[in-house]
This record gives sequence, structure tokens and C-alpha cells, in this order.
Amino acid sequence: MKQFLVLLLVIAISISSAYSQNSKVNRYTFSGYVKDSTSGEFLLGSSVYIKEIQKGTTTNAYGFFSLTLDEGTYTIITAYIGYYEQQFALRLDKDISQNILLIPKVFVTKEVLITAKKADRNVQSTDMGKVEVDVDQIKKLPALLGEVDILKAIQLLPGVQAAGEGNSGFYVRGGGPDQNLILLDEGTVYNASHLFGFFSIFNSDAVKNITLTKGGIPAQYGGRLASVLDITMKEGNNQKFHAQGGIGYIASRLTLEGPLVKNKSSFMISARRTFVDLFLREPFIKPGSPADGNSYYFYDLNGKLNYTLSQRDRIFISGYLGRDVFNFKSRDTGFKVKIPWGNSTVSTRWNHLFSDKLFVNSSLIFSDYKFEFGASQQDFEFKIFSGIRDYTAKVDFNWFPNILHNVKFGVNYIYHRFTPTNASARSAEVVFDLGKVTRFYAHDAAVYLNDEWDITEKLRVNAGLRGTMFEHVGPFTRYVQDPSFQGKFTDTIQYAQGEKVKMYMHAEPRLSVRYTLTTTSSVKAAFTQNYQYIHLASFGSVSLPTDVWVPSTDLVKPQFGREYSIGYFRNFHDNTYETSVELYYKQMENQIEYREGATPDQDVKNNPDNNFVFGKGWSYGAEFFIKKSKGKFNGWIGYTLAYTKRKFPDLNNGETYSAKYDRRHDASLVLTYDRNAKWTFGAVWVYATGDALTLPAEKYFISAGPPVTVDANGNASLNNNFNILSGYGKRNDYRQKPFHRLDLSATLHVLKKKRWQSEWVFSVYNFYGRQNPYFIYFNVDGNSTDGTLKVQAKQVSLFSVIPSVTYNFKF
Amino acid sequence: MKKIIFIIPVLFLAIACEKDISVDLPTPASKVVVDGYVENGLPPYLILSRNSGYFQPVDSGSINNNAEKGAVVIVNDGFARDTMVEVDTIINGYKISGIYIATKMFGIAGRNYSLNISTTKGELLSASTKLQVAVPLDSLWFKIQENKDSLGFIWANLNDPDTLGNCYRWFAKRITKDPFFIAPFGSVFEDKFINGKKFDFAYNRGSIQNSTAEDDNNLESGFFKKGDTVIVKFCAIDHSTFEFWRDAENQLGNNGSPFAVPSNVKSNIKGGLGIWASYNASLDTIYIPR
Repeated sequence: MKQFLVLLLVIAISISSAYSQNSKVNRYTFSGYVKDSTSGEFLLGSSVYIKEIQKGTTTNAYGFFSLTLDEGTYTIITAYIGYYEQQFALRLDKDISQNILLIPKVFVTKEVLITAKKADRNVQSTDMGKVEVDVDQIKKLPALLGEVDILKAIQLLPGVQAAGEGNSGFYVRGGGPDQNLILLDEGTVYNASHLFGFFSIFNSDAVKNITLTKGGIPAQYGGRLASVLDITMKEGNNQKFHAQGGIGYIASRLTLEGPLVKNKSSFMISARRTFVDLFLREPFIKPGSPADGNSYYFYDLNGKLNYTLSQRDRIFISGYLGRDVFNFKSRDTGFKVKIPWGNSTVSTRWNHLFSDKLFVNSSLIFSDYKFEFGASQQDFEFKIFSGIRDYTAKVDFNWFPNILHNVKFGVNYIYHRFTPTNASARSAEVVFDLGKVTRFYAHDAAVYLNDEWDITEKLRVNAGLRGTMFEHVGPFTRYVQDPSFQGKFTDTIQYAQGEKVKMYMHAEPRLSVRYTLTTTSSVKAAFTQNYQYIHLASFGSVSLPTDVWVPSTDLVKPQFGREYSIGYFRNFHDNTYETSVELYYKQMENQIEYREGATPDQDVKNNPDNNFVFGKGWSYGAEFFIKKSKGKFNGWIGYTLAYTKRKFPDLNNGETYSAKYDRRHDASLVLTYDRNAKWTFGAVWVYATGDALTLPAEKYFISAGPPVTVDANGNASLNNNFNILSGYGKRNDYRQKPFHRLDLSATLHVLKKKRWQSEWVFSVYNFYGRQNPYFIYFNVDGNSTDGTLKVQAKQVSLFSVIPSVTYNFKF
Repeated sequence: MKKIIFIIPVLFLAIACEKDISVDLPTPASKVVVDGYVENGLPPYLILSRNSGYFQPVDSGSINNNAEKGAVVIVNDGFARDTMVEVDTIINGYKISGIYIATKMFGIAGRNYSLNISTTKGELLSASTKLQVAVPLDSLWFKIQENKDSLGFIWANLNDPDTLGNCYRWFAKRITKDPFFIAPFGSVFEDKFINGKKFDFAYNRGSIQNSTAEDDNNLESGFFKKGDTVIVKFCAIDHSTFEFWRDAENQLGNNGSPFAVPSNVKSNIKGGLGIWASYNASLDTIYIPR
């Protein structure tokens, strides 16, 4: 806390000194929102730049900007990806509040080209490892089975790794999948994928903006070590009613948007659902075939309402609901399974302007993720459930005292309810004793202050401090484990409702610095210290809905991370090419894993943290990035050289091992080509070092039951029934073959008829049919007795060449 | 559970393909494997062998590849000490090496059997197992599966004793059809969640490894059938035997599953691999009328 006060003091002094320097001149504030001219959507992160003083700002998360300048006449340049730059003169002799409208590129015919010098934001900002992704560009890229996927596009950025073939999970700079904070309109999304990771839950038609911060995380964000993925839903067009949709191999989509009160209020509602379940039945599936009895679907619903009460007050209400439902019924055995899981979030936000310089947003957010597994066979029933629920309240201030400072401060409170794996079972009337439902409750609070400050013409600093408090409270039952006997308890301790079990308090300083070398180049450095009070425990080697979230407890200490990064940024050819090199080193303490041999049933009638082991991790690497964002050819090349290690005293004999996703080389090439008004082409090529795997090193024979039978006459006979068991070698010591793949796409824009616009997207996944390893298994053939026994390793590849067609429309 | 996990990517497996690959694995350190049994009323015995490289071929004619001969094996039941006799013989056509049998004692419930082995290479191994008191099943019956005409599972009613820590293993043998008792997949369970309860449960029919029998490869696979006479061998086992088979069955079932964490089988052998197991069996015969 002391550090926090010191920082506050420093900022106050610097701001007041900035004031006093030029106290003779009159200062006025130019403020407002940047909006899309056609839909009225607020554009967040757009740059508002003053040509004369070569300084500027960017709009905040709600599209608001505020610039306080000396009296004078200025040229204001506003730019945003996917929009034409706008330049206008402004006579600032009083406080001016005015919105800036930008024209989207798709609505301008080729002849009317507005050219202006693009703000070289990547060089000038203090942001390190922050990437904004253009949703429209993602839509031009080839997609697996034609399903446009935001998270898979994120994976193409340097420093971000895919969790596996066709998987939307991602790892940032050696961090685990639980170390990414995924926010959808500020609501935390705990499991961002459908169908065990194959598709992300974000329906691209409903998404307006995507920002990924993979390093130098500013103080307004916290709670995760590796990254922040901030996704904003569309607000809805407040000018005209529009519909948009598509039909693909996997799912169909429909989005409706329009004004409720023109210029004041609008809505957006979007739905997506898969329909393969309609084909997983007769006559498409024959009885007895492997797919027989299976049914699966997922759906997403997004909705958003906004209302502009006045130029000073706006209200947003947005929600998301997504579910996966898997059903299985065996024709033979009567065995039935139903597995539903999914997220829901509701965010209510109120923007208020106290003055032209002080913006405040207050939010109330509800977020829930749950997983259920129900199985039954005749009289026997079995159910597992788990989940996490958050109630969040927060107030975030954004203060623009003068052009040299952009100050953010606020408070944040979350009440967590964790439901780790719980189970119930019964056989006819007999109910099995699987213990009481165990839950964890916790208070999670934070206060932060962050200032982005132009100290000199060349030096800009973004300094912040976040103070965090986390308290695990009752009701809670602690099972005290007998250290010598796994699963046996010496005692249980009861905590009453609200009673403190364990509390943690920490300070998290953040700092990033930019030093401008020339008008087109700069160096940046960042330091981030983070605490993470929630942990994801996974039984599998991939992220599954069965993974369990647990809080920091008396046994589980908060995850602690420190990241150091440094980078060089340079633009070429009038900012047509953006290039950067970033180096990072990261250390992570108090990482968790299940101990060796743990199985989900051991979490039942127990505290899951009794089954954890603790260790540390570290990662370092270099990221190279070249991006072209002007002209008909667009795209980027990213390459990452990375090392990701883990060390746990209780795993792998205490020796250092590679994380599963330790990828030495990770490269991606992304290209889009707007040939003409009719055709757009896209290509993606990726290369990655193979996953690290643990494979068996030895085998041994054990009889499947007593191997000798003695008959009534006392004659012994041998029961020739032996199992081959395996002993595993060092953890993650084996490397799968490298992964590489080329995907291509072509989009045919059908010429506009009145308001109706449509397009056909043709795409081919894995164009050259590379058999990438998905997993390896061992086939044992023959008999140990007659010498025919043979063990053969087999590599399974999931996707060969997969063409797909998607039809999209808009009116 | 495991089956389900395999079923889930079924949407994609239709388009998946596989190929043989060669995998270079380091040679493992040589370890002694104990496959030992203490059964009620029978002399304790064990098979000693060694591990081998995962892809190393297996000699023909040898049931237990890499038999470990010449070891000194001593079993102590708390009352007597017995040095086991090594048997090197041929039983029904199979050459048996590395079998060691006690000659002076039998399994008696409640006794603790400690094992000490020293090999010719000087390795020392030890283990101990407590032979549990038998817990017979209350009743057994056959029930036809829905729409399955003449096929079904064997159901049983168990009254678990009130003390926590009981573990069980189930075997069954169809008279004339099966050569010996066979454990189905998931043959072991403990009373952690069912302590002191009386409840019904069912088992499907297990099969021999890589069985080529017709009824293990057609629609009858996994089912008992009208007309079968089945002996159920329901064994009380100790906790380490339970853990060993729980892990072993998990490992056998998980082979290569991309969703499973590879894990070793928990052994009660100090200084080696395998299991020094104890079984106290209760036998019941059930005749399924045609």
C-alpha cells in the first residue's frame, strides 16, 4: 500500500507541475466519442492525434477521448483500423465536446480514396505485446470447416501458441491456459471453447473489437499471469435495422441489430447453433456404427442493449449464454450419458462524464461456468458437476488532466463461488455417500492507479500499481489428509459462513517505458508483477470441461509471476510495414499440477487441493513480427523462438522438464489479398515444433489374475492371461513431429442488390494434406507365449484436406 | 468414463487417419518385477521377471519373458519364515521359469505376509500384504439387458462392512466356456463412497487378453447368456492390491488417449515393480436357465 501512495504522490506532483509550467496560457479541453459513421458504434482504441504538436491520445474502452490543450488552432487526425482516416481543423478557444465519425472502408468505393498519414501507433505507444485484431480481416482468413474463429486467429500472433490441432485454446509466452484473462464485455469467461476446444465461443458476427495484451499488462487488469484478451460485443446499429447471418458446415448464425430510438439507443442480438446432431441419427447413421447413439450440439446467444441518456451518461446491458450438450445412449447396454456445459455472463455498465476530463464507468457483472456429467444404466445413476460463479462490482475512472497524462484508477471487487468436482451416485434406492457438496467462497478485491505520462518528447512512461486482496472464507470443510495414506483423513475442520480461512494481500507494480529513437522507430521495455488467486487443475493433457477451478487456499498459495520484456519497433515505407522484435523472460511461482496418478474420483469427498503438487515455471523467448496493413496485400509474418520449463519437486523426480507446449519454433504467415470488388483471397501457413510428450520407456508382464489354477486332483495349470503394463519415462521427454499446415480461402462477394449483400466463402483447411500428429498410441498385437507379440506405435492425425463452403448474408 | 471420452471426438474420427511410426525411446534401467499372490488356503507364490524396453521383442516359448532365476525369496507370515522353492517346469505346454512357491505355509485371513527378495545381482526387494477377511456377496442373479433377448449381466448385492477400507475384486468363469477366472475391465472397487451400505451392482463379462473366441468378437461380447453356468469369485483384497489394479486398468484403458495423463501404476514393491497381492475369495455359482 505504501508504494501505492508514493505513486499517487508522484503523479499528483507531475500533473501539477505540468499545469504550472504554462499557467499564463488558457487551456481548453476537446473531448468526445469516436464513432462509426454508418452504425453509430463506438470505436475503442482509435487514435486522436494533433498534427501540430505531434501528440495524441487513444479512445478508451468506451470510445471516449479527452485532450486538454493550449488555446489555438489544431489539425486533428483520427484513425482506426478498418476505417478511413479523418483530418479536420479545430479552433480551440473554449471547451469543445464533439463526436468524431469515421467512415468504414467497406462502404467507400475505390475511386473515393481518402489518404492521410497513418498514425504510427505501434511505434509511439507504450504498449508492449498488445495487439488489436481486426475482426473483418479475420473473416477473410481460411477457417476450419468454415467456422470463423477469433481465438484461432489470435494464435497466429507471435508469442501466442495454439493448444493443438484445431484447438482454440491458446498459451501466451509460456503461461498456462488458466493464466489468460478472457473478458467478454468485461465479464470473465472461464472456458472459452465449444466441443472440447475445437471452436471458440465467440461468434464473430457479434464481436466488435478484440485486444490481446501478452506482456506489460497495465494496472487496470489483474488476476492472471499471462495475458488479457478483451473482447467487446457490438452495440448494434443506432441508425438503421440490419440483419446478418450465415450457413456453414458446423453452425448457422443470425444477428439482428438496429435502433430502438434513433441516435440514442440500439440493440444487437446474435445466435449461433450447430446442426450436426440432426445428421447423427437415422437415416444418416446406421444402427451399430461408431457414431450411433451420439448426439451433440452447441449454441451461443449474445445480446446487447445500449442507451444514451445524455452526452454525459450512457448505459449498456449485455449478456452471453452458451451451452454444449453431448448425449450418448448405447443401444446395447442401455448406458446413457448427458454432458451439458457452458458459460453465461451478464454485464450492466454505466458510463458517466463528471467533466470533460473525468470519465467513469461503473459495472455490475455476473459470470458463470458450469459443467455436468450424468450417466445412468438401468437402476444405476451417477452425476458429476463442477463450476465457478463470480459476482463483480467495479468502478473505473479515466482522467485526462492534460495532454501529457492519461490516468486510470479504480476499485474492483469479485465474490467467487467455486464448485470443484462434486459427485452423487445411487443404485436403485441406495444413495452412495459421496460427501457433502464442497464449495469454496472467496472475496477478491483490487485497487489500482495507472498513469501514462509523456515525460519528455521522446520518453513516455506507463506506470501503475495494483493492490490486491484475496480472502478464502467459509462455509468450508477442510479435510486434513494423512500424509502417509493418500485419501485417508486424520481430521476435518469446519469454517462457518464468512469465517476467514486464509487471506492474501499483495502489491503488483507495473511499468512500461517507450523511448522514441526516430519518427519511425522506438525501443520499449516493460516490467509486470502479477498475482493470480485462481488456479485451474487439469487431469488431462489438454484443456477439458472437466478441468476444475480452485481458489488460493491455506494449501494453495497464489500464483506469482514476473515478466521482463524489451522490444524494438520500427516502421518502414510510410508506415506501410510495421516490424518489431520483442524479448521476454518470465518466472512463475506456485504453479499447480495434480500429483502423479491422481484421478477425478479422488477429488470427491475431499478437497481437490489435497491432490495437488506445487512447483515453478519459467519461460523466455524472442518474437519477430512484420506486418503490412496497407494496400491490396495485407498480412503478417510472425516467428517466435521460445523456451518453457517447469520444475516440481514431486514430479519427474524433481528434475526440470519441458512444458507440454514448450515450442522451440512457432511461425505463422498470414496473407489476405483484395483482388477486386468481387474476390478476396486469404492464406495462412503455420509451423510449430512438435508437442512434448511422455511416452512409456519400459514394459512388464503381470498376470490378469492369479496365474495358477490348482484343480481338485492337485494338478496345477497355468492361466495364460497376461497384461502388459508400462512404465513411463521422463516427463515430456519425447517430441512429436513438427506441425505445419497451409490453409487457403477465397471469398466471392455477390454484387449488391438493393440492401441485400451476400458472399460465398470457400476454404480449404490443410491444403497439402500434411498428416500432423494429434496423438500417439501403442498397438499390442499377438501373444506373449508364441513370440508373436509386437508393439507398434501409431500416430493419429485428425484433419486431412478439408474443403468447406459458407454462405453469409447481410441486409 | 474413459469410453465416453473416446466417443466424444467421434465427429472427427470419421475423418481422422493413422499411420505406423517408429519411436526412439531410451533403454530403461533394468528392474525386477514381482507378480505375487497370497490366496486363502493356498501357498503364497510369485513369478519373478524383469522389465524390458517398450518395443523390445518378446522371446517365443516363454510365458514370462525375462524370467528372473536364482533369487532368494523369503516370506514371513508373522508365525513362520519360509524360503520359497523355485520351480522351472513345463505346465500344459508352457515353459515356466521364475516361479517361486512357499512350501510351509498357506494363506490365512488376518495375517500379514512380508516378502523379502534378493536377486543374484544383489538387488533387494521387499513388500507386504495383509490377507483380508472374506466378504461374501449377499445374493447373485442374472438380468437380461433391455432388447437383448438372451444376453445380460450378472447382478449382485453386497453388504459392505461398517469399517472403512474394504476393497474388492470381481472374477467370473463360465463353466465349460472359460478356462479360468476372468476379471472384467473395472474389476476392483473400494468402499470409500459405499462404506457400510447394502446395495446392488452389476458386472459385464470380461475376456482374455487378445481373445480370438467367437463370443468375444460378436454381439455376445461382454454378455453372459441364458444357459451359462457361472462361478463368481468375489475377493476381498488389501488396499495396495486395489490401488495397483485401479491404476493398471486405468493405464490399459487410457493407452494413447490424447485426453489422459500418462501415469505409472502404483506398486507396493520396494525396490522393484509389480504387486504382492492378497485375495480372499468367496465363490458362488449361478445357473442361468435357458
